Amino acid sequence: MHKQTLLACLLTTCLFAGSAHAQPLRIALGSEPTAIDPHYHDLTPNNALTAHIFEGLTRQDEKQKLHPALATSWENDGKNTWTFKLREGVTFSDGSPFTADDVVFTFCRTLKNETAIAGSFADITGNFESVTTPDAHTVVIATKAPEPLLPTFLGTVGILSSSIVKHDKLSFDIGKNCGVTGTWPVVGDFNDGKLAIGTGPYKLKSYTRGSAIDLDRNDKYWGDAEPWESVRFLPVPNAAPRLAGLLAGDYDVIENPAARDLARIKDDKRFGYVITPTTRVIYYQLDVGRAQSPFVKAADGKNPLQDVRVRQAMSLAIDRKAIVARLMDGAAEPAYQFLPTGMFGTLPNPPELRYDPAEAKKLLAEAGYANGFQLTLSTTNDRYINDSQITQAVAQYLTQVGIKADVDAMTRAIYFPRRSKKELSVALGGWGSTSGEASSFLRQWPATPNKEGTVGGSNYGGYSNPAFDKLILEAISTLDDAKRSSLLQQAQTEMMKDFAFIPLHFESAVWAHKANLTYTGRSDQFTLAMSVKPVK
Amino acid sequence: MNKPIIPDDTATPLRRKVLRGIRKRPTTRGAGILLACLVLLAVFAPLIAPQNPYDLATLSVMDNRLAPGAASMSGSVYWLGTDAQGRDMVSAILYGLRTSLLVGLLSTLGALTIGVAAGLLAAQLGGMVDALIMRIVDFMLGFPSILVALVLLASVGRGVDKVIFAIILVQWAQYARLMRASALVERRKEYIEAAVNFGLPTPYIMLAHLLPNSIGAVLVVSTINIASAITLEATLSFLGVGVPVTQPSLGLLIANGFDYLLSGEYWIAVFPGLALVLLIMSLNFVGDRLRRSFNVKGG
Repeated sequence: MHKQTLLACLLTTCLFAGSAHAQPLRIALGSEPTAIDPHYHDLTPNNALTAHIFEGLTRQDEKQKLHPALATSWENDGKNTWTFKLREGVTFSDGSPFTADDVVFTFCRTLKNETAIAGSFADITGNFESVTTPDAHTVVIATKAPEPLLPTFLGTVGILSSSIVKHDKLSFDIGKNCGVTGTWPVVGDFNDGKLAIGTGPYKLKSYTRGSAIDLDRNDKYWGDAEPWESVRFLPVPNAAPRLAGLLAGDYDVIENPAARDLARIKDDKRFGYVITPTTRVIYYQLDVGRAQSPFVKAADGKNPLQDVRVRQAMSLAIDRKAIVARLMDGAAEPAYQFLPTGMFGTLPNPPELRYDPAEAKKLLAEAGYANGFQLTLSTTNDRYINDSQITQAVAQYLTQVGIKADVDAMTRAIYFPRRSKKELSVALGGWGSTSGEASSFLRQWPATPNKEGTVGGSNYGGYSNPAFDKLILEAISTLDDAKRSSLLQQAQTEMMKDFAFIPLHFESAVWAHKANLTYTGRSDQFTLAMSVKPVK
Repeated sequence: MNKPIIPDDTATPLRRKVLRGIRKRPTTRGAGILLACLVLLAVFAPLIAPQNPYDLATLSVMDNRLAPGAASMSGSVYWLGTDAQGRDMVSAILYGLRTSLLVGLLSTLGALTIGVAAGLLAAQLGGMVDALIMRIVDFMLGFPSILVALVLLASVGRGVDKVIFAIILVQWAQYARLMRASALVERRKEYIEAAVNFGLPTPYIMLAHLLPNSIGAVLVVSTINIASAITLEATLSFLGVGVPVTQPSLGLLIANGFDYLLSGEYWIAVFPGLALVLLIMSLNFVGDRLRRSFNVKGG
């Protein structure tokens, strides 16, 4: 009897120990990815998640330095032609070999992507004049305009397997449908796992929106095997439950615990955390392009946001230092330009955006709005750190100078489509520079959209400044670094004069984890299982 | 007429009996007094509250997350502290109570009106109309109310008016069913038959006889439903689909405070939570007493 009990106990212990070992690495996310499709939406949580399954030709490390990935080397002829040598012996998770055809197919798909939000990666591939494949492991890309950042950009385009659609001979010829005979894949085909076939270190096991994303290690991965057999991402939008879950042992790693809560784990030997400054700027995009804007009501019936004095007054009304100190608990930097000072193409000494409510009132009066006007600020409440709280505080500041501001806070799944349909008047935005250069924001947001779709993909506010457009278009096709940097600085100064975008601050990212793990914080804010290692 | 030998309980006016029922029991009396106080506080909130928490011009982020008893930059004292936006919690709770009661009363009134009308029509007209109305009622009651309200609000957006509309939509069916049941009982009584035989028009019978004599139970149930309407509003706001963020109700205040519990700033969530508990509890005690006094089942 005793022996039996003992045996039973032992068995249970063994079972539990066994299951504890096989348990996945559990990572709680503050911001849930919206798709498994790597080309659905060029959004940090999406790009971070899909980077586990799909790889680009290049990759960036935690400091955004460029490394080879599916391409082993690349060179430029000094003009528009780039030659990429592809890695040999790589197979997709379904066993098919990786060749130049997959690269061509992927480039085509970014241009034949009906379900994409905001053009996604078409701004990169839209600039391609031709893509040729002299052999199975060489890709030659000729761009329409010179593109100095091409290798960097191609790190963000996840390579798909061409085996996922029916096709004849593949070629980069959009007019001939690239040789594809079947239907182009849409976002849903990836989410249900059917087409989620990549070369990355993990493969998709299951994706249940709002609940969990399960990944398994890809045993066919060409690089070093990851230490985790399986990984589970759990979306937990509220910071407090996220940290509570870590404290309770439900999660191994959490992203962005609230800075104010770090005191809880500071002296606790069971946990650790890292704080990393990021390139993510938080700002408002103003609807300046239309005479009538949906959420603006002024006595004179016009859209006051079209008056630069009003926009400058709005910027002067905001106390950025107070927001950083009181709402961000110091885990942010006030932003006076759109990429932190010191990065490529930024101003070394951007003029400070002062807090001066008296001056703001004066400017409003000059513009004919001494009695203010009505305005609704739109914001996400589950995307950026303290996003809804920040917008409420800004509404306070605007109200204090006479603009009757209200706040409409909504979940990202509703917010982003509404913003891209131009249904908002003042919209909160956040942008992390994927390339680590000032051009990333400047070409995507304030530039006037062009035919090719290479710039202005997110210009929902209808801002258009020909002098700025000229500078940014010249800058992004200038291969000479010194000249490009100077052009970017001029472009930045030019668009800042107009206050069509009002920067607030740069986020700092925080990750907290169990003490038996290490985490390498990334300046692009990607939360990756690849950044988690066991303590040896 | 002779006096009956057994004293008839119904001889005491119903109103007095009910009031006595409330007065006699200390818990119910306490609840009644508390409810009256809360209602008064809510009604006179704009006069009592030190700050208008919905007026963004009076708030200051520099005063945010101050502990109870802390002094503001302008020298006044925040007795229950401030939230993340620098809102005085006392004022926010008073205004929150106002929103809660407003939503509770208006949505209950709306649901009651629609439900009573539907139930009365179903009972009086019978046949196809009855079947149609009751199938709609069954359909409505088949879904959890929180789910219907969530879906509805997620599509139409935030706002006090929208919350009231959503609660009316999920609650009217209960009243319809109850009203129909008690009207059916009432219809079989002799005085209604007499009125019918008299040749009185149907609408007159419905409104002058059937309605006043069968609405009692529904009214009693509605007092308890005020509490559930308030809870529903708080839940919806807590989940982020209820009232606008700049006009927090108790539920939204709790949701906001929830984020600060771990860092020890308990007052942002705890005090509005306490206010909500007191409000719901007192409403339930009083409503329950009414229900017992009138001997109403269901609801």
